Amino acid sequence: MKPMLSTELNTPEVVVEKAKIEVRNLNFYYGQSKALKDINLSLPERSVTAFIGPSGCGKSTLLRVLNRIYELYPKQSAEGQVLLDGKNILDRSQDLNLLRTKIGMVFQKPTPFPMSIYENIAFGVRLYEKISKSEMDGRVEQALKRAALWTEVKDKLNASGLSLSGGQQQRLCIARTVAVKPEVILLDEPASALDPLSTAKIEELIDELQADYTIVIVTHNMQQAARVSKQTAFMYLGELVEFDRTEKIFTSPREKRTQDYITGRFG
Amino acid sequence: MSTAASLHQSRKRKNAVMMTLCVIAAGIGLAWLALILGALLYKGLSGVNLAVFTEMTPPPGDAGGLLNAIYGSIVMTIIGIIVGTPIGVLAGTYMAEYGRFSKLTTVVRFINDILLSAPSIIIGLFVYELMVRPMGHFSAIAGAVALAILVIPVVVRTTEDMLNLVPNALREAGTAIGAPRWVVIRSVAYRAALSGIVTGILLAIARISGETAPLLFTALNNQFWSSNLNAPMASLPVTIFQFALSPYEEWQQLAWTGALIITLTVLGLSIFARSLTGRREDR
Repeated sequence: MKPMLSTELNTPEVVVEKAKIEVRNLNFYYGQSKALKDINLSLPERSVTAFIGPSGCGKSTLLRVLNRIYELYPKQSAEGQVLLDGKNILDRSQDLNLLRTKIGMVFQKPTPFPMSIYENIAFGVRLYEKISKSEMDGRVEQALKRAALWTEVKDKLNASGLSLSGGQQQRLCIARTVAVKPEVILLDEPASALDPLSTAKIEELIDELQADYTIVIVTHNMQQAARVSKQTAFMYLGELVEFDRTEKIFTSPREKRTQDYITGRFG
Repeated sequence: MSTAASLHQSRKRKNAVMMTLCVIAAGIGLAWLALILGALLYKGLSGVNLAVFTEMTPPPGDAGGLLNAIYGSIVMTIIGIIVGTPIGVLAGTYMAEYGRFSKLTTVVRFINDILLSAPSIIIGLFVYELMVRPMGHFSAIAGAVALAILVIPVVVRTTEDMLNLVPNALREAGTAIGAPRWVVIRSVAYRAALSGIVTGILLAIARISGETAPLLFTALNNQFWSSNLNAPMASLPVTIFQFALSPYEEWQQLAWTGALIITLTVLGLSIFARSLTGRREDR
């Protein structure tokens, strides 16, 4: 394959009216090895963007840069800019904990905290807000309703979060994320550990949430990307190959590699 | 075909031989344990009566009990745990959380493992030089310090191991919601590892409640009731040591009874610790 210039690769076709997040010339390293190569991308506000690509292409890595969760581990470093509402969050002066209240994240495996359902949600809220018990009750109820979990758990809020089924646990994690009122929600393969019914519920939920939140979802499942997202970024070997309206990516991609991937020729 | 059949036969024979050897080895191990427990029960049980728990250790040839020794053991064990546990838990927390990727952790873990397997008599001698000699006399507090030093490596090890078992995903989840690191450790990691950490502390109690050597050099012994931490104090293991070697029948009987009490206490703690870990695994 003839190597292409990176500028050619990274020209986004999506017309972004208002970018919530702008990634500029982002490079990412695991120790010496470069995992993301000069990524440029604009994520529109209140809309769902999907990152797709084969394993190891860097889609999760890119997601993990957006809330700087990678900084939990040494030897991982990012250079370039990630602008949230125009402000570079990769800046040293950025308060990480505050950043993460603005940019929530849900992981591949459900990760309820080892505490009650109620506490799972109140925990995050309590970190930055001092509110009364009745207000907290309201917040918990609201978050659980938002995550379409309220009717299933309203009679057992004191039960352990671990007692729920996998799909319920994942919705609890979404509720927990929503409860702290973030602006952006990052979803790292949120349904890959779930059965089809739970997956459908999560997708429905994503669809509802985009009215209020900017959502970024990493997924292995191309049908899922096609179903839930407005725009899709296809990544391969640490590069952003193509970023376009989801419809366009899945019907008439510009790049041959995208075409090959979505038609199942590799990956 | 015939080679396959003969191979099968020879494998079966080897299997039978190996299995027999394993069963015999397991049997030998268990037999000693059963003999020791049996002897303890047989000799110790006959001496269990109210006086054991209400009277002081007697002079030779007299009847008496083990009250001062039991009291001393409990007091020194409790102080040892109170002093050693926070140090151990905090060190383990550093190693598993803050310093997980640092060189220092590797070094501390190595040294801790040495300390874990250090003969307890050396700890006793160390505290003797550190406290008993400068103070000029044996004391319960020196005994408690020696026990605390034995507690630390056990608790460090289990705390680190249990925190390392907490999935990173859970820490990431805590972090992703905006919780500062110390909150993630306190409210998420500790909670998830709680039963394991408590098990480690119980195991540490079980270990120090039977230690004799470090107490010989530090708390020594006391024939009488003493609650003064700055004076020699009796303890069950040292009393057993002294009484078992004596020619007096009453003392020997009390030694057996004391040994039974310690063994049952340690057994109880171990079972309790096991049940805690068991419950964790069920979940």
